[in-house]
Amino acid sequence: MDAVEKANAERQKRWVKDQKIGEGTYAVVYRGREASSGRQVAIKKIKVGLFKDGLDMSAIREVKYLRELKHQNIIELLDVFSSKTNLNLVLEFLESDLERVIKDRSLVFLPADIKSWMAMTFRGLEFCHRNWILHRDLKPNNLLIASDGQLKIADFGLARDFADPGYKMTCQVITRCVCAAVGYSRDSDINHGWYRPPELLFGSRYYSTAVDIWSVGCIFAELMLRTPYLAGESDMDQLNTIFRALGSPTEQDWPGHTKLPDYVPIGHFTRAPLRDLFTAASVDALNLLTQCLIYEPKKRITAKDALSHAYFFAPPYPSHPSKLPKTSPPVNTTQPLDEIDGNTLSGKNNRKRKLSSSTDETKTRSAVARRLDFTKTTPGS
Amino acid sequence: MIPLYEASSQFHNWRFSAQNLDQIRSSLNAAAVGVIRNTFEADQPGSSASISFLNPDEELLLVRLYASKIPQLCGFFRFPEEVEATAVSYLKRFYLKNTVMDWHPKNVMLTALFLATKTTNHPIALDAYANNIPKTTPSDVVDLEFLVAQSLGFEFAVWHAHRALWGIWLDLQSLPDAPPDRATSQRDVYEAALKHVRSSRLSDAELIYTPSQIALAALSIADPELASEWSHSKFPSESASIPHLDNTLAAIRALIEAAANPQDVEVVRAVDLRLKICKNPEKVVGSKAYLAKKAEEERKAEEKRTRKAADAPPTEGDPFGDELAGRLVDYDDDDDD
Ligand SMILES: Nc1ncnc2c1ncn2[C@@H]1O[C@H](COP(=O)(O)OP(=O)(O)O)[C@@H](O)[C@H]1O
Repeated sequence: MDAVEKANAERQKRWVKDQKIGEGTYAVVYRGREASSGRQVAIKKIKVGLFKDGLDMSAIREVKYLRELKHQNIIELLDVFSSKTNLNLVLEFLESDLERVIKDRSLVFLPADIKSWMAMTFRGLEFCHRNWILHRDLKPNNLLIASDGQLKIADFGLARDFADPGYKMTCQVITRCVCAAVGYSRDSDINHGWYRPPELLFGSRYYSTAVDIWSVGCIFAELMLRTPYLAGESDMDQLNTIFRALGSPTEQDWPGHTKLPDYVPIGHFTRAPLRDLFTAASVDALNLLTQCLIYEPKKRITAKDALSHAYFFAPPYPSHPSKLPKTSPPVNTTQPLDEIDGNTLSGKNNRKRKLSSSTDETKTRSAVARRLDFTKTTPGS
Repeated sequence: MIPLYEASSQFHNWRFSAQNLDQIRSSLNAAAVGVIRNTFEADQPGSSASISFLNPDEELLLVRLYASKIPQLCGFFRFPEEVEATAVSYLKRFYLKNTVMDWHPKNVMLTALFLATKTTNHPIALDAYANNIPKTTPSDVVDLEFLVAQSLGFEFAVWHAHRALWGIWLDLQSLPDAPPDRATSQRDVYEAALKHVRSSRLSDAELIYTPSQIALAALSIADPELASEWSHSKFPSESASIPHLDNTLAAIRALIEAAANPQDVEVVRAVDLRLKICKNPEKVVGSKAYLAKKAEEERKAEEKRTRKAADAPPTEGDPFGDELAGRLVDYDDDDDD
């Protein structure tokens, strides 16, 4: 056996796969453990044979970035090994995610809890940005929750680096960080609709860390509202939804936006004060939220500045992670799998429907209904 | 806070001393010669005696030859420098885990480049790639992709000297007493230094030194004064690190200058010819040794499957119980699809 094969076989032996717990877009996820310590892990098995262009880009991105990023608020990649034509990522096991927490109607959030989740999100994100990495797909179900309450940013399948040639290395030899550096996008599928910033919706191909900040702003709002804040039904409706909530941007608010490739004029909405909707939020909380949702990307707050925002220093202080509200463990191993974890498409939608019907938010419900309708759109039927 | 580079996989796993590199290459070479000799002997006793195996230096000559072909291919495909530099790093890293006698650098080079297009976010369709390279099929490229990724330890991020050079160049323009038109008036110095950085890719420099050390050494060949202007702006003049830095830079300059000398094509060609005879027959698709090895692997896999089936816990006698168990526990594990 080659040295490389031998090393791989040894890595593989360190981990034991126990049971399948979920199925993502390009992978099957297993619960597993470290053979020596019994430590629980998640093993994400990616079938490489499926892709005609060899190793798939999402898998490559996920491995590339997680290999380099080690931070308390970023999911840890413990190991990578291959088995036949499968690539296996060994990840720390995380029992819940923020989407599940938000949707669990039995949980009550205190302002200090929200502050704690926000602080952990910004800490993880600041570390990504400091390492010149954009996540590009932040949403509540990519913010996983460990059993000790720590929040971890996960799913780097759409991430990319944005270092201007030179700045990255300049950063290594000196400590100048230029966080307004830009990336060039050829991907159309980044950011889930509701969390996607307006510059991407207008087709901007040069973008920055500000895309992630917008998403965090939407998540912040969702934590306060307990329902998605800017839940559009399509790309076009997404801009409508944003402008209805935050007012249509003027040239002064956002210089140059009318020149963006996919710009279309959309209505004239006046901005309603955020206070009308976020009735219980503190002044500091609203100020931070506002700064995350500024139209002009360059003016949006950075993760670094957000961490020193007054919101985080004013009482109530962030809850200790171990004191945060938690979803009860959903896994009852005697149930068929697709009802436990929503590992099939129908299972997943069922779960979403069940949970959102209890929220009584017509907005959420209509968005979900729309999504389920796609099977019926055959013309003439 | 840890400086970013020092937290990287490159800093932790891909930096060696020159002696380390020699040891690694010699022991890989010796192990390969041992295995191949046995394979020949198993096929026909006495047959290995006449074979002249490659030594580690000869292996390195071939790796360097194929590394030097990467820029040509990148020019043809118009790949950015990031892709080119990453592919060269992958090729060199690969041969710190494998030997030329097992895997020919021509194939590995094509795979490393294809993988680099993806890891740097400049993907190209496999067909478009392979169809444009003479005598290359898509499977020539992807068959080795997994092995290459594995050999890299799935550590795809590479820190490059050309970026460090760009950083230094930007710094130089913003020093307090820099001439205001430096960006244009001294642009040729930057260009010259960049050429030296490119030469350094054909050497072991990146496996021994940091990207910024290499960049600074390249700059010091192009313009020693500019290089010292930059280092003095970074380190106080009384700093103890300056003499140490000078020694490092001199060592890198020597590597760069040696790498800039063109290879003697005849010598390399002779090595490549000998490789045709001494390469590992187990890795030659279709050969007797290759088929024997595959058959052995298949036998082991079959054994494993049988064992797993026998290990599966007995069902409780509940007719539905075993279906449920089948869904919850993936006994097939890796032997499935
Ligand atoms: N680190 C983890 N710990 C525990 N469960 C996980 C982990 N990662 C993924 N899962 C489970 O596997 C499912 C699929 O994961 P993933 O492939 O990342 O999903 P997607 O493609 O939907 O983003 C998730 O919904 C979750 O239930």
